Amino acid sequence: MLRLLRTTTFSFTIIYVFVFAIAVALLGLLFYQNTFGVMSKQTDAIIDQEMVVLSEVFSTEGAGVLRRVIRERAAWRDDGLYMLIGAPSGAVLSGNLSALPPEALSAGEGFFNFTFERPRLNAAGREVGIETREARGKIRRFKPTPDAETSFLVFVARDISTREALRERSQALMTRIGAATIGLGILMGLVFSRALLRRVDSVNRTARAIRDGDMSKRIALTGAGDELESLALNLNAMLDQIERLMSGMREVSDNIAHDLRSPLNRIRGRLTEALKGGVDERDEALRATLADAENMIMTFNALLSIARIESGEGAGSMEAVDLVAIAQEMVELYEPAAQDAGFVLQLKTAPAPPVRGSRSLISQALANLLDNALKYAVGGTTIRIDVRKGSDGRVLLSVLDDGPGVPAAERDSVLKRFVRLEQSRSTPGSGLGLSLVSAIARAHRGAIALGDSQANAERPGLKVTIAFPAFDKA
Amino acid sequence: MRILVIEDDSEAAAHVSKGLREAGHVVDHAMDGEVGLNMADVGDYDAYVIDRMLPKLDGVSMLSRRRADGDETPALFLSALGEVDDRVKGFKAGGDDYLVKPYAFPELLARVEALGRRRVAPANVTTRYAVGDLEIDVITRTVRRAGRKIDLQPREFRLLEYLMRHAAQVVTRTMLLENVWEYHFDPQTNVIDVHISRLRSKIDKDFDKPLLKTIRGAGYTIDDAD
Repeated sequence: MLRLLRTTTFSFTIIYVFVFAIAVALLGLLFYQNTFGVMSKQTDAIIDQEMVVLSEVFSTEGAGVLRRVIRERAAWRDDGLYMLIGAPSGAVLSGNLSALPPEALSAGEGFFNFTFERPRLNAAGREVGIETREARGKIRRFKPTPDAETSFLVFVARDISTREALRERSQALMTRIGAATIGLGILMGLVFSRALLRRVDSVNRTARAIRDGDMSKRIALTGAGDELESLALNLNAMLDQIERLMSGMREVSDNIAHDLRSPLNRIRGRLTEALKGGVDERDEALRATLADAENMIMTFNALLSIARIESGEGAGSMEAVDLVAIAQEMVELYEPAAQDAGFVLQLKTAPAPPVRGSRSLISQALANLLDNALKYAVGGTTIRIDVRKGSDGRVLLSVLDDGPGVPAAERDSVLKRFVRLEQSRSTPGSGLGLSLVSAIARAHRGAIALGDSQANAERPGLKVTIAFPAFDKA
Repeated sequence: MRILVIEDDSEAAAHVSKGLREAGHVVDHAMDGEVGLNMADVGDYDAYVIDRMLPKLDGVSMLSRRRADGDETPALFLSALGEVDDRVKGFKAGGDDYLVKPYAFPELLARVEALGRRRVAPANVTTRYAVGDLEIDVITRTVRRAGRKIDLQPREFRLLEYLMRHAAQVVTRTMLLENVWEYHFDPQTNVIDVHISRLRSKIDKDFDKPLLKTIRGAGYTIDDAD
């Protein structure tokens, strides 16, 4: 319960309810003033009018006529108007009230409210008890002559019992509406908070489970298709990515253990032998060990590069680069080496828009692909770099050779770290070249694909293509 | 050359110092950035070798402070890090070269000696270089050997120019790749060797005395010595 009160939804609801309550209160106040305020003013106006008429009568016709007028007017008891004329002493001369209300004598010229009791009449006009009425009125004093010391009292009042009762009922109603608004608001707040909290709790439960080591847990989807759903989808995608990276890491550390243990064992064996041998054997052992160490350093450097590229470092140095220019430079660098190895290195380009990328990384990827081609396209004669436009604005960079190629079943696995096809185990290399290329492609939001380079079942060749996304989508 | 090595790994420092001394240099060693800063202030060095990660004061900050004080001694950063971003930071702080650990000692030696040479003869002043009877003119981009004109491809010219600028010094394959081709990675194929052998066939083949020599396990050098 306490957690519900602390949720964001609940705080928002409370703020909303508060604002809404103020709006309702303002509305009530407006309504009140436009009804009871107006009615009250009307009452006062009627009394004032009556008083004006009576004073007119008094000043033109005198007290006698005034008494008569008042008696006649007062006879209509049920229009809710009370009036009386009193002697200076306060004794009632005529009118439809039995006595001046006590407040009248102390009151000045202004309006005042008072209560009085009168017999209650039933429908047939018979007395059935006493009722208390509320009325509002005002008193005026008329001097019979300008220099008279005493004056007649004229009192006019209007019954406001019904109105007051209505007002009390309205006030009570408004209070109840207000209370209901706030109560209902808080209730809705609790309901909303509970609904949201339940879904957030499901995320929390998943996070806890993952923290406790169950990496396979995912947030349950409700199928609501709302923003929480899309949050859950994103979090799940993120968890997939983390799981993939973690399993990649595990694979790599297994592979490191395997691939570095063999050279280390080799070194140990060689050094043990060398200790027993002569100077020549020692020199030979040292040289071989140095070569092994250099290979291991190369492996570590490649791993480090892959890790750094995959962590997104260098993404800041991405700029518009021209793949054709990069390919030309690389052909220039590799052409002599390719020729020495018995290959013709060709460049085939079609006009292609620039891509967003890093010259250094793309060059490195290209260098790795060329290294691979020179190393593994045994018996081939031609290596070709191909730059052209693909579909939806993508730019394709391919390296093709006419060597033995990679069987379709093994294409996925050669992109993984440390995987080297059996026949290449004997040649030097870390088995990281293609995974570095693949990491570079990913850093450019590109895709890497392996395929046959020619329609020759005997020698399909290898075609590695990196597809760079269109510049504005990168 | 008087060289100040600032490196907190004492074994690595000993290895570097020994190697540099064997190559005929005078070496001082500082264990952290603050000591390095003080020693640089007092000693008159020809080059600094600075580890980036140092206790008390890191290498980049140390060099920035020296540069702010007007010290223009060439400096080479050593770092376990390495990619382009770090290199850029090092250069911004006033570093002249950058080497990633682990490195082969000949690579370090070649680079430090190249730095020292840069100080003695600022590269932008000289436009002609000569080694033996081989001459190049950087302005007209012409190459002559024994008075005979030799035609080179633009890249071959740059390769030769770099070697001539560092005549009688060892130049490693990585240095060539970085300075002539501007790539900061090592291809597994011997691409540089092939370029060198093509260049060699143009400048040495028809002459009695080879000038462009391979230094085994280190790199190349161009000199007139026998």
